[in-house]
Amino acid sequence: MRILVVEDDAEAATAMVRGLTEAGHDVVHAVDGAFGLLEAQKGGYDVYVVDRMMPRLDGVGMVETVRKNGDQTPVLFLSALGEVEDRVTGLQAGADDYLVKPYAFAELIARVEALSRRRETGSVATVLKVGDLEMNLISRDVTRAGQEIDLQPREFQLLEFMMRHAGQSVTRTMLLEKVWEYHFDPQTNVIDVHISRLRSKIDKGFDKAMLQTVRGAGYRLEA
Amino acid sequence: MRLPSLFRRTPFRLTLLFLALFATAAAAVLAWVYVASANEARLRAEEAVRTEVTTLTGIYDARGFDALNMAVIDRTLTRDNFLYLLIDAEGNRVTGSLNVSPIQDYEGGTVWHTFPMTDTLPDGRVVRPQSRGVQMTLRGGEQLFVGQSLGDTEAYLGRLTQALWGAMGIVVLLGLIGGLLVSRNLERAMGRLNRTVLAVQDGDLKARVAVRGSGDELDELGQGLNGMLDRLEASMASIRHAGDAIAHDLRSPLTRMRAKLEVALIDAEAGKVSGPEALELALSEADDLLKTFNTVLAIARLQAAAGSGRIPDAKRFDAADLAADLAELYEPAGEDKGLEFSAEIERGLEIMANRPFLTQALANIIDNAIKYTPEGGAVKLRARRRSSGEIEFSVTDTGPGVPEEDRERVIERFVRLDNSRTEPGSGLGLALVGAVMEAHNGRIQLDEGPGVYNGHGPGLRVALVLAAAP
Repeated sequence: MRILVVEDDAEAATAMVRGLTEAGHDVVHAVDGAFGLLEAQKGGYDVYVVDRMMPRLDGVGMVETVRKNGDQTPVLFLSALGEVEDRVTGLQAGADDYLVKPYAFAELIARVEALSRRRETGSVATVLKVGDLEMNLISRDVTRAGQEIDLQPREFQLLEFMMRHAGQSVTRTMLLEKVWEYHFDPQTNVIDVHISRLRSKIDKGFDKAMLQTVRGAGYRLEA
Repeated sequence: MRLPSLFRRTPFRLTLLFLALFATAAAAVLAWVYVASANEARLRAEEAVRTEVTTLTGIYDARGFDALNMAVIDRTLTRDNFLYLLIDAEGNRVTGSLNVSPIQDYEGGTVWHTFPMTDTLPDGRVVRPQSRGVQMTLRGGEQLFVGQSLGDTEAYLGRLTQALWGAMGIVVLLGLIGGLLVSRNLERAMGRLNRTVLAVQDGDLKARVAVRGSGDELDELGQGLNGMLDRLEASMASIRHAGDAIAHDLRSPLTRMRAKLEVALIDAEAGKVSGPEALELALSEADDLLKTFNTVLAIARLQAAAGSGRIPDAKRFDAADLAADLAELYEPAGEDKGLEFSAEIERGLEIMANRPFLTQALANIIDNAIKYTPEGGAVKLRARRRSSGEIEFSVTDTGPGVPEEDRERVIERFVRLDNSRTEPGSGLGLALVGAVMEAHNGRIQLDEGPGVYNGHGPGLRVALVLAAAP
């Protein structure tokens, strides 16, 4: 995946470029919004990772211009501003996701990969398939190897998210944000318990455990 | 040049200003009284002269010049407040109290004139009182002058002027003395306020204005100042307290992280590769630190909002949805720990609040209840409208609870009791609840739980109470 990182903090940028490169991505770094815009115009990127506060052209300005130019490449905003209104203005400017600094690197990679996946599967699929697991989004039936699985509404949403990001690590924070729409860190391992309930429904009685725990990151649904 | 300190004081300057205004007004009144009195005296003299002239011309018309002459002679002797002069048709003085007419270039007709009348008093002093008179030509060509001295009126006006000046002098003197006293009193009172302000400026936050209890504006100002200082001291204390909590919550994970990294380094140098595990542990400590850090930021923002009196990003929504969503999120975690988790939520609980913050506050309380309730216990979430109309969220657990004598303190600081401060995070978590409720003008209530339940108890009931949306 080709990623454009627009970040004025040299050290943060170096770490990000290195980490994303090691995760197997092709990374280009621009030092501010103006250079970012120039680089984006060359095209060929799968995701833009944009810092919100930068000298010259800031992140909001850059993303607004990018969107005005008709470029629909997914954008992940990075910001030290984490309040609700900051998220709202960031998303209104045209960003697809919003990550508050400081963040765990696993979180960044998971979100970047989730964004690129969203783009690939932007179709209107009515059935999601991961291995022998099938989810019908219309009838809301879920089966594994033909066996019907009975899910609560929230478990269904959770599984849908995992299936849309199959093969990728998703973090607990991502799940809390995307499935429950909460932006805080619970002290209790609430997400783990929901995952283990879901796991007991889809993996119990099968040889292969699909819903796997990724140490230090979160979970991954494997075919 | 610097004025003497007294003249720089506001009360004294005000006194001087009012004195100047008063003196101007008094002088204006004085001038008016003087002019009016003088005019009145002149009119009275004229009236008297006119009556005398009418009488004399009546005598002349009825009985001729000689009778007039007799009358003038008679009056000159008996009426010393009048001036007379009778001149015959040839222009020679016939009789009267004057030797020559005060009107030097008289050319006939009736002419009024005001003039100084030179007079010698019995003690030899010479005075020149103002006089007013009229000269006229009679039918036979004779001339008659009748006048009256304004002397009495003038003396009266002089005394009046003197008295008024004297009165004004007394007023100015008393005014100055009063002004000095007022400014000295005010200066003392202001001095007390100033000393307190300076003491606080020098860092003594405990300094307070001595209130005399007189109930005047300065006392009120002093009380207001004291109230403000109390509030400031309280928030300083809470900031210091939050600082201690932060230090506590950041120091422990930082210490652990440092130790783990050190061990990893030693192991790596010794060729024993236990690195990854130590690093992972260090990472999870770092995550805890980030959480703590975010909580601190949220508390700071909420406290700033509470100071401004406005709920940040307040929206209208149904608190029942908020409670139901959280019940759904936490129910598995509770059951996973072997607790009976239940929720009892009334519908239609409209409130004006910052939804993310209120969600987090309630989540922190549920987190805490689950954490402190032993296996086999129960946690119950309730959301309801009180009979007072307020909206109440409550979380009841069957954990050890908080002894009654400690509840006040727990609410006050809303941090974890010191003897249980072993796990990081919770102290700040509850401080966040306190900050959220403060920003929403709500309150926290602590009560005993349901009593002994499955061998544990008595439990704790934490209620968050806030106003319903109008």
